Amino acid sequence: MTDEPYRYVEAMANRREYVENQLATGSPIVALSYDGGVLFLTVGPERQKVFEIYDRIALGALGHPGDIERLRMIAIEVASTEGFTRSPVDVSLRRLTSYSFSPMLKNAFEQVYGPPFLARLLFAELGRKHELDLFVRLDFDGSLQTSGVGVAREPFGVLAGTRRAMNEMHDFLKTKDLSSPKLSTALDLASQAWGVGTFYTRGQDHREKPTDESIADVLKEALKTNVLEAAVLECGAPEHHAYRPLDSSDVEAVIVRYRGSD
Amino acid sequence: MNSAGREPERARIAGDFVEALSRNGVAYQPEFTGSGASEIVQTQATTILAFKYEDGVMVAGDRRATAGNVVVYERADKVLEIDRHSVMAIAGVPATAWEMARVLEHSFHFYRRTQMQEMSVDGKVRALSKLLRDNFGFAMQGIGVVVPLFATYDELEPGGRLYFYDVMGAQFEVTDFAASGSGSPAVRAILHYENHWGKKPLDGRSEKDAVSLALRALETAAESDTATGGVDRRAHVYPVIKTITKKGVETISEKTLASIYEKGMP
Repeated sequence: MTDEPYRYVEAMANRREYVENQLATGSPIVALSYDGGVLFLTVGPERQKVFEIYDRIALGALGHPGDIERLRMIAIEVASTEGFTRSPVDVSLRRLTSYSFSPMLKNAFEQVYGPPFLARLLFAELGRKHELDLFVRLDFDGSLQTSGVGVAREPFGVLAGTRRAMNEMHDFLKTKDLSSPKLSTALDLASQAWGVGTFYTRGQDHREKPTDESIADVLKEALKTNVLEAAVLECGAPEHHAYRPLDSSDVEAVIVRYRGSD
Repeated sequence: MNSAGREPERARIAGDFVEALSRNGVAYQPEFTGSGASEIVQTQATTILAFKYEDGVMVAGDRRATAGNVVVYERADKVLEIDRHSVMAIAGVPATAWEMARVLEHSFHFYRRTQMQEMSVDGKVRALSKLLRDNFGFAMQGIGVVVPLFATYDELEPGGRLYFYDVMGAQFEVTDFAASGSGSPAVRAILHYENHWGKKPLDGRSEKDAVSLALRALETAAESDTATGGVDRRAHVYPVIKTITKKGVETISEKTLASIYEKGMP
């Protein structure tokens, strides 16, 4: 099948379409720098979608739970092994994603006779300085998008089931003032960005941008039956414990706003 | 690593870091293949002690490392924080002991991250036991003998827990105190005496009184044992003392040690 160039291109395109269809309904995930670290936020059924990877690295993932689990384990294993053989300071997200994950995912995607990973990943690394927080999105084909450097740098990362939803979430956050927001502000912005992503995930053919009301409606509807999951990588936390899932009191303000108090 | 997720799956214990190391081609410890006793003069670290006090467990160690009759180092740290609620104190060969501490530390974090729950106290105690057992071949040849203490705080049944080990890896839980290393006979005598006939049993003493007692016990050990370093105020060398309480592991600052030392030891 893959010995002719045309067949190869066709096979890849089919495969891409298949994986993208599988991922299309995934719930968006938002990661955002705030004045005390990095925030991850998503809304979904009880299943956990944000994970601790290493001292300063966390992962949000959407896709097949089995594949997410395998990728999560590989990430922890690679980071821990390096942290042990060299030093925890040597573990970096840039190297983990560029040198370990990207080639592995590309390889799995292109081996037409083996199954690809049905997952899309958003990693974040808490920087030694606020402006060094790093966000990296990795797609099932190994393509990789980072939050950039210098003037082009964006202090956030987004993940969603469709490319359109991700672009719209990106554009939404791009218009906001993101210079060191407080955690409460960051939770607001992240939940709204999640609302934008979900708006486009549900209605692929939306032509107009969602209004504030329609974003609020999306969140209201979602929080009726789902839980808000949030976690932070905190500056100044005890060594090896930067990752902390937020508990319900931390996110209560957001929930009350959209669902009302119980 | 490219194929790590693609191999035919087999059931294995989840979250075992040492196994993950060997799977990734990193040998934590090669098989010992030599024979006969070692004639190398090994660096040794002594004396450590731990006892339960009012708030939890206190662990202390002097700072001296020796090789034969040579003092190698006067600022060795033998009381090592393994995770937020656990401390391992080492007597024996630091080369082996520090490596064990590193494996242990990574094992606990690895377990927490992969399994998304803390390892139980029994699991942690057992993990150190296994490392000692893996080291037994070396220990039999007289290389890298380590006799550690392990102290942790049990959040399920709130309270400090304290263990000592033998060279083969047997773990013994103690109710009051433990000591290890060349200065330990003197330390044990003092702790036993204080616990039975002192003004209060050890587990009724405040943090300040406990620090004072630990300093006195180490000074007494240093008095007759050349491998135990005492306090050197001029060079600012004080024992390392850590507490393990509900709040986690804390290190008593040098300033506090200096002030307690001066007031408590006229």
